[in-house]
Amino acid sequence: MPENEKQLREVAEKLLIDKKVDLIIGYEKGTLPLRTRPTFIREPEETKRLVWNSRCENNLSLYLKTVKEKVGIVAKGCDSRSIVGLIKESQVKREDIFIIGVPCPGIIDRKKIEDVLDGRELLEGVESDSQILLKAEGFEETLDQDKLLHASCRSCRHRNPVLSDTLVGKEISQPQTDEYSDVEGFASQQDNERWAYFNDETSRCIRCYACRNVCPACYCPQCFVDQSLPTWFDRTPHLSDTLIFHIIRTLHTAGRCVDCGACSRVCPMNVELRMLNKKTEKDVKELYGYEAGKDLEELPPMATFKIDDPQEFIK
Amino acid sequence: MKEDQIVATEKSEWKPRIIAFLCNWCSYAGADLAGISRLQYPPNVRVIRVPCSGRVDPYFIIKSLQHGVDGVLVSGCHPGDCHYISGNLVARRRFAILKRILEFVGIEKGRVQFSWISAAEGERFSQVIKEITEEIKTLGPNKKFVKEI
Amino acid sequence: MKEKIIRKPQLGTWLEGLRKEYEIWAPVKKNGLVLFHPIESAKEIHFDFSNTKKTAKDLFFPQSEVLFSFRGGEIEKEADMVLEKPRIILAIRPCDAKSLALLDKVFDSEDYQDPYYVERRKGTLLLGMACTHPQTSCFCTSMRSGPFEKTSLDLLMVDLGDDKYLVEAVTQAGKDLMGKDGSFEDVQEKDRERLAKVKKQAEEKIKSKVVIEGLEEKLDKIFDSPFWDRVHQRCLGCAICTYLCSTCHCFALLDEGVNSREQRVRSWDSCMFPDFTLEASGHNPRISNRERMRQRVMHKFNYFVKNFGETACVGCGRCIQNCPVNIDIREIIEEIENEQPLPS
Repeated sequence: MPENEKQLREVAEKLLIDKKVDLIIGYEKGTLPLRTRPTFIREPEETKRLVWNSRCENNLSLYLKTVKEKVGIVAKGCDSRSIVGLIKESQVKREDIFIIGVPCPGIIDRKKIEDVLDGRELLEGVESDSQILLKAEGFEETLDQDKLLHASCRSCRHRNPVLSDTLVGKEISQPQTDEYSDVEGFASQQDNERWAYFNDETSRCIRCYACRNVCPACYCPQCFVDQSLPTWFDRTPHLSDTLIFHIIRTLHTAGRCVDCGACSRVCPMNVELRMLNKKTEKDVKELYGYEAGKDLEELPPMATFKIDDPQEFIK
Repeated sequence: MKEDQIVATEKSEWKPRIIAFLCNWCSYAGADLAGISRLQYPPNVRVIRVPCSGRVDPYFIIKSLQHGVDGVLVSGCHPGDCHYISGNLVARRRFAILKRILEFVGIEKGRVQFSWISAAEGERFSQVIKEITEEIKTLGPNKKFVKEI
Repeated sequence: MKEKIIRKPQLGTWLEGLRKEYEIWAPVKKNGLVLFHPIESAKEIHFDFSNTKKTAKDLFFPQSEVLFSFRGGEIEKEADMVLEKPRIILAIRPCDAKSLALLDKVFDSEDYQDPYYVERRKGTLLLGMACTHPQTSCFCTSMRSGPFEKTSLDLLMVDLGDDKYLVEAVTQAGKDLMGKDGSFEDVQEKDRERLAKVKKQAEEKIKSKVVIEGLEEKLDKIFDSPFWDRVHQRCLGCAICTYLCSTCHCFALLDEGVNSREQRVRSWDSCMFPDFTLEASGHNPRISNRERMRQRVMHKFNYFVKNFGETACVGCGRCIQNCPVNIDIREIIEEIENEQPLPS
């Protein structure tokens, strides 16, 4: 991946020089070891800040909703699907964006690195080929990137961007993945076991709304949790309200979530609710044959219907 | 009627409380017909009239469970008969996803149910209510999502 | 004696004795997170941590607190403002202890005393654990604190290695706690040497230096500068930095309830939320993320200084470690230093 970084910077620089775009949204090096972060570049010489590696975890399409300039955006497979969703829902115009597609073999999960380090602070990380060297006090270990991939990346079926104006590097191979084995395994548990799991996870939630704010699909001017006339769900983190917040957010993103994993990555309390989104994604696919972010023409599944939609659950 | 009077007291035996969201043009009319025809059905149901089954937001269903009701029924017109043409068709997809996610989270199968009942189906309405009441009685009181303060 | 040694195996015995009178809260690791929990035995304590995920402010100013419950206009039950049992917070870091001194300025001032907060403060003893391994994101030494700082503590413990803790009494209450048990030994000269070495190493480890001299005045001059347009760009507007900050203390009073029974609840609020300053008329003076980010920085480094004489930051670094988009307050302060004020 790092070899594509040079090409990425050249592409971005040329776009700014030729004034094809006013703004480049990409990734730059962060202030902590192995961190990257979103960056906004308007001057051609600043494009040397751009990086591309296995740690570019944010879904940058999030920012398309708020910028008013013509934008060149760095997009991985999942990001490009979010962009398709945003175009389809009229949140951004196709002609206002230039998609710099980057084929992505997977992004590592910072929380997995924390587990490996077991309380030690990461002092330095060096990426090479398909490995990562981790250095902490009295600790040094090289791991395969494969072992550190986020769960969303391990089940990813869209490593190459589905929509792009240019591609940085060549398309990469797409292995078969069994996306829903986690969901199926979980669903086979008893009702009360599953209930206990979700309550346990949400007991840690502090309602910071980072999961909602980082999601490109969540762009309502006023979120349902912030409504006060009527107040649907109370603000304080009562277990019942908190679990309901997550369930309803899953419902609102049904058929729109592309499983980029951003929500689970940003959670400071390690709340793992990806299972909910994955379940709804599976249902939408089974019931309506729809996959989010693939096709610009297909209508969003929850905003349309077919006369013969499945209804065996209705009396 | 004050809401607290609906709450079952500790002393009495538990009786299920079921909320039914009925669409005005079909299901509510069907319920009305059941009443006019003097058809008997269990008194555990509280009806909330909505213009269309498409009006029923997942919030209503989940909020009802949070308030401690033991079962929720949503009923609308048969597909093709919706007074607003396609309200029930859009709702059908929404309900399918909602039902699956609620069951996935651990809400018992049968707490939240859906039906299509037309204005002429008074007999069928009373039948559906009888069925649901029995099913909820078997499931027992709803303890999940209930917000205790 | 003001200072004593306790060996790690004896720690459990001492705590067991304390547990008869006090409820002991200590760092416990669960689900990958280290958080303060009440403990039954010393075995549950997780000592190998840099800092707890959430701060000590939770224990005095909880995320949600029921003030009273009411029904139909009649108050049914008021909150108990008395702690059931006095508490000990074990292994609190010096930065978190310092943050309580800052929160005291707000919640326990000459003019206003928050009874819920004050009661908890009065009934709690703080047993600090010095930071022998500060993180690279720590900058407490720039914020009038430090890895061995004693502000607000009753006792300070230092891990000397070799299975020994040096325990220093800071207040009479702390001294009394030590006096209650025979597990303590006298301090030897080599222990004091070791202490000096460990302290120096820790302070040298803190390489992050942030200059707050002149920051307040500089901020006054750049309030309308386009600087703020750049700073806020990638901010998500979530509440992670505010909720995980040791000194952030904004809250909302809300009436919440179900089935005609209601409660008045005080719960955390965040200035980064869009509706924090949303008025009933629909007007919002902080209409965008730019204004909210600016206000957060101004509050901590300018307004709080004007109102209470100190910066509302202890350099714990939690905001830096947890921000999803790596917004770094150290960088922001450095950029503020370099920013040219607009011509007046």
